[in-house]
Amino acid sequence: MLQFVIRRIIWTIPVLFLVTFFTFALVRAIPGGPFDFAGDKSLPPTVVKNLEAKYHLNDPLWQQFCSYLIGDAVCRPGKQNGVASKGVLLGDLGPSFRYRGRTVNDIIATALPISAQLGFMAVMLGMLIGIPAGIIAALKHNTPIDYTATFIAVLGVSISNVVLGPFLIWIFALKLGWFPVATWAAEPLFSNIAEKYIAAGEQVPMWVNLIPKPTKEFFMHAVLPVVTLGTALSASLARLTRGSLLQVIREDYIRTARAKGLRERAVIVTHALKNSLIPVVTILGPMFAGVLTGTFVVEQIFAIPGLGRHFVTSVGNRDYPVVLGTTLVYAVAIVIANMLVDITYAWLDPRVRLE
Amino acid sequence: MAALLEVKGLTTQFFTQDGVVHAVNGISYHLNEGETIAIVGESGSGKSVGVMSLLRLIPQPPGKIVAGEVWFQGRDLMQISDDEIRQIRGKHIAMIFQDPMTSLNPVLTIGFQLMEPLQLHLGMDKNQARKRAIELLEMVGIPGAATRLDAYPHQFSGGMRQRVMIAMGLACNPQVLIADEPTTALDVTIQAQIVELVKSLKEQIGMAIIWITHDLGVVAGLAERVLVMYAGQIVEEAEVHELYSDPHHPYTIGLLRSVPRLDMGKSKRLIPIEGLPPDLIDYPKGCPFAPRCEYRTEKCEQEDPPIEQISPTRRVACWHWETVVADIREKGGVYA
Repeated sequence: MLQFVIRRIIWTIPVLFLVTFFTFALVRAIPGGPFDFAGDKSLPPTVVKNLEAKYHLNDPLWQQFCSYLIGDAVCRPGKQNGVASKGVLLGDLGPSFRYRGRTVNDIIATALPISAQLGFMAVMLGMLIGIPAGIIAALKHNTPIDYTATFIAVLGVSISNVVLGPFLIWIFALKLGWFPVATWAAEPLFSNIAEKYIAAGEQVPMWVNLIPKPTKEFFMHAVLPVVTLGTALSASLARLTRGSLLQVIREDYIRTARAKGLRERAVIVTHALKNSLIPVVTILGPMFAGVLTGTFVVEQIFAIPGLGRHFVTSVGNRDYPVVLGTTLVYAVAIVIANMLVDITYAWLDPRVRLE
Repeated sequence: MAALLEVKGLTTQFFTQDGVVHAVNGISYHLNEGETIAIVGESGSGKSVGVMSLLRLIPQPPGKIVAGEVWFQGRDLMQISDDEIRQIRGKHIAMIFQDPMTSLNPVLTIGFQLMEPLQLHLGMDKNQARKRAIELLEMVGIPGAATRLDAYPHQFSGGMRQRVMIAMGLACNPQVLIADEPTTALDVTIQAQIVELVKSLKEQIGMAIIWITHDLGVVAGLAERVLVMYAGQIVEEAEVHELYSDPHHPYTIGLLRSVPRLDMGKSKRLIPIEGLPPDLIDYPKGCPFAPRCEYRTEKCEQEDPPIEQISPTRRVACWHWETVVADIREKGGVYA
């Protein structure tokens, strides 16, 4: 088990290197640069030149890449005008080109915890509703209960967040006034630690921001975006669970279990559920990774300052370090999620061994 | 002596989108205590559905037992409650299935699956059940039983898995063991081992057996009485030696002719039964075997022959069985 985890962690090194390499190459292949503004906002050519020099944009690409990876000290000895980067390997994702004075580390440390809170609650909601709904639909196969559950699930999958979000706001925030219209209201649970960092003028560490204080304010703000995001997730989980359980119920070993005289509940719980959850776990990994690292649409609708919008806007801004930083965060999340999925597999299915 | 198990007019149908499948059409038979009977017939003749209906194990819907009685220990298994039939399943009447590769749950240990009926029906605690499970594995000839208990099905070969299935079936010392083609998915040497194992276990435990197969060779060494099924009906019943030496139904004759025999020499060609079994959705009006039968007459196509008791041990469902028997005797045997 430990050996498996260590081996998987070692394997992530080439994966993350390739992700970094291709993202670096691709984002620079897009025409235009970070300081090309059209029309009135365009900067004087000398300013652009200085900015480009400051961020070493005129250096050979290999040198820029090298510097991004292992820092200016190694790759640009004696040429550290402007901002010195320590390199990704030391955890320095560099400065943002667009948000002057902010580093990519700052942006991620502030925005990722918010996205992760939203995403975590949404996936939990999705699982809590989706998996039981799928099980019930499968057990009541071809009855009105099944048809109703399936109909709602199809609806949930088909209705876009773009529609559902504003619709929920309109009813529950504007008409009924039960919940706030937008924004996020998370305070760190360990506020004393956070204050210490703020007093010292330092960036609050990510884990402190990640754990919210369970205030009423926090949950009231969370309800609508979590429901919006969770509905679609629960719908696809319900469909998957239903299909998977229906398939397992037809297996020969379920007939064997019935022939032993087991109660129907024991047949389902002991003999069918574990088998039927294997495909569900498969989809949960990437689902977690995708949602935890930010969702553009829902965060935009509810004005939540998460990481989602950075994924999108940084590309338009040609904010190279932010593009690379967010992509790396996503890649790391996927890698971790898939590792957890593999570990769960081994627990669910004895035929999968981790050695 | 009253029979241990008495089946009367059992009829099972499947209600599908294409129509009603007449899988089992009013079969009646009995099983005496400690007796082994075989049910033979080709694929789709209703053998499996027939025995699964005894324990109400067919998937409902689409399946439905539309008529019939199954008497066991003074109760009609078709009428008792779901709770009551569960008390019968695994405890008094156990079943083993065709494909040992898929009949064991891949994510549960052999020990867990073996201990389940013991804890459920005999009220054993974990330790008692574990002890008994080891005994059972030893009984069916699995070496290193104590250590194998924590293994998973995929760590066993097909033959070994079928042994586990048998151990599971016999866990509660049932009065009846239903074996639904237990050797079909295994290779020939393993088949022989499994047949021998069941025979020796029967001597130890004394349960009655219903053995379903399409292999007449297996039947000869195992069963005392044979039921031949065709298109969801029993067409002939006889003691095993009678059936081989003096078959009465044209379908039985066809079956015997299509089995290769070592003593016949290579030059003799097998004679297949011409044609196909009837469509069970569009069930024929007359005798279901008539279109393939060399003895058929107009009556056969109009009226389905009822099964008729022709001697204390024999039943046959054919309008012309006397003609058939006379013809075969005149020719000098089935293979002549």
